[in-house]
Amino acid sequence: MGVSCADPSLLEGLAWLSCYLMTGKHMAFYLSFLTVLILLAITAPVAIIFGLLGAVGSRARLLPVRLLGRGYISVVRGVPDIVFFLFVPIALDQGFEYLRHRIMCPEVLEPVRQGNDFVVCTIAKLPLNSDPQWLHEIYGFALAVLSFAIVFGAFAGNTFRGAFEAVPRNQLETAEAYGMSRLQVFWRVLLPQMWIYALPGLSNLWMILIKVTPLLFLLGVEDIVYWARELGSAKTSAFSFPHPDWRLWYFLVLLLFYLGLTKISEIVFARLMARYNMGQATLGGSRQLGQVGR
Amino acid sequence: MTQQSKSDPVIALRGIHKSYDDLMVLRGVDIRAHEGDVISLIGSSGSGKSTLLRCINMLEICQQGDIQFCGEAVRWSGDGPGRMPADQAQVVRMRTQLSMVFQSFNLWAHMTVLKNVIEAPVTVLKRERGEAIDEAMALLEKVGIADKAHIYPAQLSGGQQQRAAIARALAMRPKAMLFDEPTSALDPELEQEVVKVIRQLAGEGRTMILVTHDMKLARDVSNHVVFLNQGVIEEEGSPETVFGNPKTERLQKFLHASVAA
Repeated sequence: MGVSCADPSLLEGLAWLSCYLMTGKHMAFYLSFLTVLILLAITAPVAIIFGLLGAVGSRARLLPVRLLGRGYISVVRGVPDIVFFLFVPIALDQGFEYLRHRIMCPEVLEPVRQGNDFVVCTIAKLPLNSDPQWLHEIYGFALAVLSFAIVFGAFAGNTFRGAFEAVPRNQLETAEAYGMSRLQVFWRVLLPQMWIYALPGLSNLWMILIKVTPLLFLLGVEDIVYWARELGSAKTSAFSFPHPDWRLWYFLVLLLFYLGLTKISEIVFARLMARYNMGQATLGGSRQLGQVGR
Repeated sequence: MTQQSKSDPVIALRGIHKSYDDLMVLRGVDIRAHEGDVISLIGSSGSGKSTLLRCINMLEICQQGDIQFCGEAVRWSGDGPGRMPADQAQVVRMRTQLSMVFQSFNLWAHMTVLKNVIEAPVTVLKRERGEAIDEAMALLEKVGIADKAHIYPAQLSGGQQQRAAIARALAMRPKAMLFDEPTSALDPELEQEVVKVIRQLAGEGRTMILVTHDMKLARDVSNHVVFLNQGVIEEEGSPETVFGNPKTERLQKFLHASVAA
């Protein structure tokens, strides 16, 4: 552009705006959109895996496995999400550090809990104090993803459990009659047929997941809401780019971002439903064939 | 394990007892099906004929009695109500040689007709996929729905679904076939297309056990008819004697009611 952003006080109009929008903090703001997308992209599959494990566990024949699966689903579902989001990262962090402490510093005999302090030896710290800042941030982000996945996995687990039960008995029995093992029945018939019953519930969960991503800031991750508030608030002339309270505009951007995201999700889920409805003796399946009037 | 000899029946049931809690469904049933036999099981609802069929491929576990398949006896563990097959591999082996055709077709809803037919041959019998597809197409041709190979079951009529289910059963290259009221869920005109296929299979000398309400079908295709009543065999014999000259009063009544219906 050829415009120097070195002294913003000399700039006006569009030139000022373009320089303003390219500051380091704005870059962090843009990057935080990516953080949200990455969180969603990792959390969703991990939550689905947790949910499947929970659902399969809760239907297991072995009593301890069954209790574990049911316990996971009902305990996590029964606790307010925000409490869980705050609790899990701290619990996981201290849990990991405690294990490392026991393994790596066996000579330290003092209790880990000293009054209100949680003290582990220096080399057991996670991440190490000497580790670079980005590693600390990634570690914090990973704990956040894990907490989201644990919470949403429990809800997904409940959805999956209902979906497993909804698959007609005769479909499974036929597979048995043709010599399939329990594992084959699960992979070849139960799992593929379950999705159609699980998808509506999962689509709800996905929407909710998108909408709770601002909770990331509770976990110390600087997300889009944090930056929108930070950048939008009024800046006095002490700043290089002074401006009045612009939070309204920043939040409007967030609004549009979330609306766009949920709209795209709706389209994707509609396609998935159509795919799994293909040829099914359901209302949705018949509608595709034009066998059902409007 | 006994060696299979020519004289061994394909299916031999001896003294089969089955109850659900207090309800006795089968009280000592003996049936022998030799190669090429087509045996029809008839009887009113609740006589235990479907349960008996399901005991053969162990979808239901009978609490007493022996099941022999081609001379090989099912091994059991436990006794009475807790009795289970001792050897799961044996159960799988027998099931793959005993294809079942169900009243409600039970085609796997998430697979096309062709995938339904090749599913068990490929995943259970580990046959080569290309070969399985060729064989499946030939079987679909045989039952007259080759043009429906790439369509999902829900898009087919009941008669077409049942013919697809028969093709799926044949794809296992079974030693015997079990039909559980294969035409009961069909309209009369669709029924005929399925009956035609069953008649054709009987004509090929396949070993079949058929549970049916259709007396005409039983008379036409079977060489042995078994009349079950309250869990025991009340009367059995060739179709000519069972239908033409019923001895027991119960069978006479039953046949009379069936004709009237």
